[in-house]
Amino acid sequence: MGLQSNGLSLEIVGREISGRPVPGKPRRPAGPYLLGLPALLLSCLLLIPIGVTVVAAFTRPDGSFGLGNFAVMGDPGALRAVGNSLAWIAVALGLVVVGFLLALVSYRLPGLSTFLQPALVIPFAVSVLVSGVTFRLIFDATPERGTVTAVWTSLFGSSPVWLGPGLFWLVLVSAFGWTWLGYVVSLFRAGLDAIPDDVSRTVAAEGVTGWRRLLALELPLLRPITGVVTLTLVIAAVRVFDLVLIVVPGPMQRDADVLGLNWWRAADTGEPAGRTAALGVVLFAIVAAVAVIGVRGLRRRRWAMPVSVVRADPALTRSKPSRRARRIGWTVGFAVSLIWILPAVVLVATALHSPREAGLRGWWSLDGLGFESFAAAANAGLLRALLSTVLISSVATLVLLVIAVPTAYLVAWGGLPHWLGRVVTSAFVVLAVTPVQMYAAPLRDAIGSAGLAGSRVALALVHAAAGLPFAVLLLRSAFASAPPALVAEALQGPARQSAVLATVQRTYRPALVAVAVLEFALVWNDFIVGFLISGPGTTPLSLVLWGEARQFSSSSGTVAAAAVVASVVPAVLLLSFWPTVVRGLTVGSKP
Amino acid sequence: MPTSRRAFLGASAAVLAAGCSGTPDVLGLRRSVRIAVSWSSEELRAFHSVLNGLGRLDYPVEVVPLGDDISTAFGPRNAHRPDLVMLPQPGLVPEHKKDLESMPDDLADRGRARLWDELLVVDGTTYGLPFKTAHKSAVWYRPSVLDKAGLKPPTLWSEWLEVNRSLSFSGIRPLALGAGDGWVLTDFLENVLLGSSPPTYQALAAAAHPRPSEHPQFAAALRLLGTMWSAPGTLAGGVKRSLVQQFPDAIVEVFGHRRAAMVLAPDFAEPVVRSFAADPDDIGIFTFPPISPGGAAPVVVGGDVMVLPKPTTDDARDLVRRLAAPAAVDPWITAGGFLADGRVTGYSPELTRLAKQLVAPGASLQFDLSDRLGRLGAMNGLWHVLTDFLERIGNRGSDVVPDAVEIALADLKKVES
Repeated sequence: MGLQSNGLSLEIVGREISGRPVPGKPRRPAGPYLLGLPALLLSCLLLIPIGVTVVAAFTRPDGSFGLGNFAVMGDPGALRAVGNSLAWIAVALGLVVVGFLLALVSYRLPGLSTFLQPALVIPFAVSVLVSGVTFRLIFDATPERGTVTAVWTSLFGSSPVWLGPGLFWLVLVSAFGWTWLGYVVSLFRAGLDAIPDDVSRTVAAEGVTGWRRLLALELPLLRPITGVVTLTLVIAAVRVFDLVLIVVPGPMQRDADVLGLNWWRAADTGEPAGRTAALGVVLFAIVAAVAVIGVRGLRRRRWAMPVSVVRADPALTRSKPSRRARRIGWTVGFAVSLIWILPAVVLVATALHSPREAGLRGWWSLDGLGFESFAAAANAGLLRALLSTVLISSVATLVLLVIAVPTAYLVAWGGLPHWLGRVVTSAFVVLAVTPVQMYAAPLRDAIGSAGLAGSRVALALVHAAAGLPFAVLLLRSAFASAPPALVAEALQGPARQSAVLATVQRTYRPALVAVAVLEFALVWNDFIVGFLISGPGTTPLSLVLWGEARQFSSSSGTVAAAAVVASVVPAVLLLSFWPTVVRGLTVGSKP
Repeated sequence: MPTSRRAFLGASAAVLAAGCSGTPDVLGLRRSVRIAVSWSSEELRAFHSVLNGLGRLDYPVEVVPLGDDISTAFGPRNAHRPDLVMLPQPGLVPEHKKDLESMPDDLADRGRARLWDELLVVDGTTYGLPFKTAHKSAVWYRPSVLDKAGLKPPTLWSEWLEVNRSLSFSGIRPLALGAGDGWVLTDFLENVLLGSSPPTYQALAAAAHPRPSEHPQFAAALRLLGTMWSAPGTLAGGVKRSLVQQFPDAIVEVFGHRRAAMVLAPDFAEPVVRSFAADPDDIGIFTFPPISPGGAAPVVVGGDVMVLPKPTTDDARDLVRRLAAPAAVDPWITAGGFLADGRVTGYSPELTRLAKQLVAPGASLQFDLSDRLGRLGAMNGLWHVLTDFLERIGNRGSDVVPDAVEIALADLKKVES
């Protein structure tokens, strides 16, 4: 609106309040709320089915409400599954401790990470299914095929059956540890590297060393990262599903049963919907409890994680360690990396044998080398599945970024009332840890009756919805950790939204890259969402791999070839973006 | 490395574009005829070669490998309804007939063939057509081992036990057992039951609520089976190894690593046998021997039947018609491991033998029992009971068998109720 008189033009120009907040009721424009609308709509893809599942869990077969369905937990099979799921949580916690100690060692012995880093990243990049395949190959029961069995037999004359009753746990835990340890070490290491030098010098000057230093300095400082790492691992542990399916031979599957699998079998054999829903709710309750504890742990931090917007001057970093320390670090790092990379070598070497040779003998055999297994895998529809997977992952990542960025902006800077911000954040935390089982069945029915069954785009949308909570939480933390002056400046500019976005793009690229890369890799490697929601018909890579692996050792060449093909893209992606991803993830550890 | 990253992104965009333009059904939007199958790896490839041999079709065909979840193809919770299901459990046809379309009239007679009519024809309407027949009473062995020990393939159950004993005395493990696949164990038991008491088998197969634990002949069959499995030195690698090996692994044990003499495996094991055999000429087959002198040799039959879930399309009917043509399956027969219903020519010598037994008059033919027991035959039923049974008796001698049979019957009773 303007005024004009005698050639003089007056215009009223509004200006955003900047600087210190002053007491009083702030103006809350409704406009920014629209930014959250797409996220709300997308989240409904999960929220409504979750609601349906919860209602079904509390609905007795006769239609009345009550706890009757939870009697399913008295079933010995279900009880065993709960016990195993809890055991997996213990495994995850143990892995966090081991990872932390490894990170400490690698921090004190620089030089170690030169080799260790790539060796640790590759397992994280490949899917759980691929790592299961690899460890099943390594622990195969015949001395001709199985690496460990062969070594054991030549040392002691005979070997235990590693995949047999009881011992299969060793194989499962090895595969799980191989996948996740790199992630744990990398994040802890990034956290240790970010401890400001003056702080550690002060502590050292006060004569605090050893365990006391650990308790006084590193543990409290790493609290936010510990929270993120623990949360991720516990969620992964409770969601263990495909690993058991592919590693454990049929007769032992009952002993290895976990809640997720128990739910799937119950749903598959047509048990009443209420009972399976009750199982889903129990699974969810366990994960949610862990998540809530984890997030509380995050909130109680004493120091915020330092975020280096400006790269530190290399001249000011830690003093170089002694030559001896570097040499020890180098040697240890080299040895550990060799062991850590061995499973990947086994997989690739197996794939390079003909199907016949791979079925008969181990990866070290020199006969039958060639690309026959790859050709056989290509015949099993691998290329089509590859295209399918590229499409699903790209669409999911794109949709996720387009929706998560404005939402995270809204939560971080949109001026939401404090309580609403907390509610939204908590809702996203809960959604982030919700197991697929909570929404799979209703969602599958809904997609089916909408005539979208088998649509890759529908599957991609479900993936985007499932990835949204984590992405928003990560981006929100990144946005919120912006130096306020920077944002204020951006807000005052004439084209403020775009300026803010430009600033965000410049400053928070690591978080954006982390979200994009992790979502792409997660969707690429996904088995459970595709399996439970779309059925095996949508043919993403992991499902083809799963189909091939049904007759495991006789088709190990083909399976290994398919696994290698399936792993190339995520491995290259994560290896090239890993430092950025870790930066993005550690920025996001602020709740 | 900004250049390489950009190049990578560019390349993936190009792949994506190619994927969308080249095969529009990647998007899942074009309507194709979807065939649900339970096959994987070699069998799946062989089926693709059958499809390729059909010539040009007016509609795209998509094969959906459902694996063990094939029965979900027409379940109420199915998201991905196929137009044609290659059902490996013909026993499920009567149960699901309200979800199924009847077969076109000109093909209906094919479903009325001997044995198949019991399952595929309900109230005079044909709901399925046999596509692939499985002979589940075959034992593959290495003739050289038996020759060397001066033995002949057994023609009677007691002779088989004797052969096993002689072999293990001379230091050769007679039997490889792929106990990692539940159906290997149930097939074994079904053969013994069908051989020892055909009426009991028939009664259990036909019962609405089968209670095998109440049939004394069923317990007798378990005891017979226990006699073979419990004999020390019979199972190659011992019980634990047996539990982790699937049926192809058992075949590799016999023909690849040559650590055992024989293995119970259906006709469709043929490609596995041939591709892993160390000596391609050292392959022999005998059929499951009669249990008692004068008794008929048991022949347990399985197979995949084509069924059309409701509602069907003209395209799906057309595809069934083409697949039902006798010449359609020639590529698979050439690849090996395929028996077509009623056909006795064109196979390898081993499979010809099996095919002839299937059409021989007076043979004691019955469909796979575990498919017809419903939940009792599934993973938590007979499969687990037999796995536990094997664990209790394997390699421990016949003394432990009676107790193990009692426990197995008690376990079965729990599943039955």
